[in-house]
Amino acid sequence: MKLFHKLLIFNLLGKGLFLLLFLMSGPYLLSYLILKNTDRQLIEKKSEVLALITAGGIESFISEENPEEGFGSYNILKEEYILLEKSAGERFLEDSIFVEKRIIEEEEISYRVYADLIEINGETYLLEIGRSLSTIEQIETIFYRIAIGILFSFLALSFFLDSMISKRIMAPFNKIIQTKIARINEPQEFHDQSIQSTTQEFELLDQAISEMMKRIQKSFNQERVFISHASHELKTPISVLQSKLEAIFGDENLSPYQSEKLMDMQNTLQKMKKSVNALLLLSKVNNAQFIKTEAADLKKILEGLLEDWVDIADDRGIVLRKIGVDPFVFPQTNFSLCQMMIQNGLSNAVKYVKESGEISLSGKKYDDRYEVLIENDGEGIDEKILDQVKNGLVFLKDVTKEKSGFGLQIMFKIAIFLGVGLEITSVNGKTRVLFRFPIEG
Amino acid sequence: MRILLVEDERALAKEISDFLQSEHHVVDAVSSKKMASENLAVNSYDFALVDLGLPDGDGLDLLQDVSRYQKDASVIILTARTEVGDKILGLESGADDYLSKPFSLLELKARMQAIIRRKSGWRKDVIQLGGFEIHLNEPLVAFEGQEIKLTKKEYILLQFMLINKNRVLNRFQLAEHLWGDQLDDEYQSNYIDVHVKNIRKKLGAYGQVEWLETVRGLGYKLIG
Repeated sequence: MKLFHKLLIFNLLGKGLFLLLFLMSGPYLLSYLILKNTDRQLIEKKSEVLALITAGGIESFISEENPEEGFGSYNILKEEYILLEKSAGERFLEDSIFVEKRIIEEEEISYRVYADLIEINGETYLLEIGRSLSTIEQIETIFYRIAIGILFSFLALSFFLDSMISKRIMAPFNKIIQTKIARINEPQEFHDQSIQSTTQEFELLDQAISEMMKRIQKSFNQERVFISHASHELKTPISVLQSKLEAIFGDENLSPYQSEKLMDMQNTLQKMKKSVNALLLLSKVNNAQFIKTEAADLKKILEGLLEDWVDIADDRGIVLRKIGVDPFVFPQTNFSLCQMMIQNGLSNAVKYVKESGEISLSGKKYDDRYEVLIENDGEGIDEKILDQVKNGLVFLKDVTKEKSGFGLQIMFKIAIFLGVGLEITSVNGKTRVLFRFPIEG
Repeated sequence: MRILLVEDERALAKEISDFLQSEHHVVDAVSSKKMASENLAVNSYDFALVDLGLPDGDGLDLLQDVSRYQKDASVIILTARTEVGDKILGLESGADDYLSKPFSLLELKARMQAIIRRKSGWRKDVIQLGGFEIHLNEPLVAFEGQEIKLTKKEYILLQFMLINKNRVLNRFQLAEHLWGDQLDDEYQSNYIDVHVKNIRKKLGAYGQVEWLETVRGLGYKLIG
């Protein structure tokens, strides 16, 4: 999982947990706060009532003729009421707040009641101010909904902001990985340009990767120069020898014995030349010294190889068959290497196939790949040995067949360099060489 | 033709020089960039064969002198260096061909002839041989106006033997011309026999091909 997504999920989970806590504790908390607020408002109302009594006298609430009747008032929806009556005794302690049911117009309603005993003109009166609990609960519900709405909005907004900020913070990291590692297929492609960042850790990472890439690049360049020098030193004397041999070979007065010896020398020189070329080719492929800017028409390559090899196979009593070749052009590759790789596969098949055997060659296009398959009857190579060849640990020197042993190694190395999958399997006396060319989406 | 050979490896320079002289060319062999520049400024050449790794600098620099003083001269780069960049730069700087060492002298001759044919405007170049018409500029072989179908490799092989007619060509030289360094296969010289056999079979259906001789134990020779 990407660090960016991890940060985002972590933030979201943290805030989500907070929201969950609120959802669980919110009703109790809100209820407590609203009751506290209601109580405060009820106490304030007591002051207002006292001010009215002081201004208008108790008579404006309780008639002198019938003082036992008291005063009661409530609003139209019965949400609030005020009761003032002569105290019948010590029913309440001063400043009592409680919840109690009251019957108003034959309707029983629960109220939050503030009750107090007040003294006016030597008389003790009971003052009750109440607010219906349903009103309080309604307020609670509204507040709760508003709070949840705000919190969810906050959560969404914070997710969006987190995403933006994280993206911005992580941008230099992504740029470092993309420009300095992911897009660098060969060390030569690396250009040392520092990535701007205000995050110290990313600056350090950028520097560390740049240093590492420069070391790899330097080592590659040194190897390239070495290969170039080695190539010159090895190939020049071979050139001289070859030219001298050719010059003697052109002499028409050579005796058969001399001609035979010359051919032997030529043969040995050819082997030496091939080995040097193969070793240099392997080094160059390893050192990525081939351009990959060409397109290879695999159908043309396969049909060309078939034309070249069908007679050679036929001469050895082998049937070389084409089993369907779909058209496909492999882009951004090295044409010569691509052709060499498949040709080595085919030449190996011709060499190792059983007498009067059969070789089939096919090219099939799938959605995500193009497969070139060379299948032949014949003994395969042990899987363990193949692995060693693939990893460059051994060369398959076959003395009986006078083989240099570089062919397979070259095939594997080219496949890796060109980004082509290569599988060699041997089952029931049949060998399959499968080249898998990826097709970019 | 007058040829300037720029090669610091004296032994190789001598062999190339001797070979080209045996082909009736005049060869000026020099071993440094400075000497090559002087010769290019003074003499007139048809061909410059330039080695890249010279003791006093890069042979690629000489391509500027060639384009300045020898506008009609053709250039073949001869090198043992392996860097792809050299090849691209060489061809981009005006070289006509690039030959990697070690190469066969006959291959050099074939490349030179191909350049001459190309520069002469692809004029029709047909060789008559025992009633057969072999076209050098297009893959076409005919007998009394009847086209004979050869594979690409067979045609290249026949063309190479024609360029080097009356000379014994061994299987290694022929294989190198056909496959270059592409095929890591010790059998490839035997494959030459298969191709020659097919050429004989295909052409033999129309007329005598005794002009294509097998030189026992050595290779093949085209008599013409």
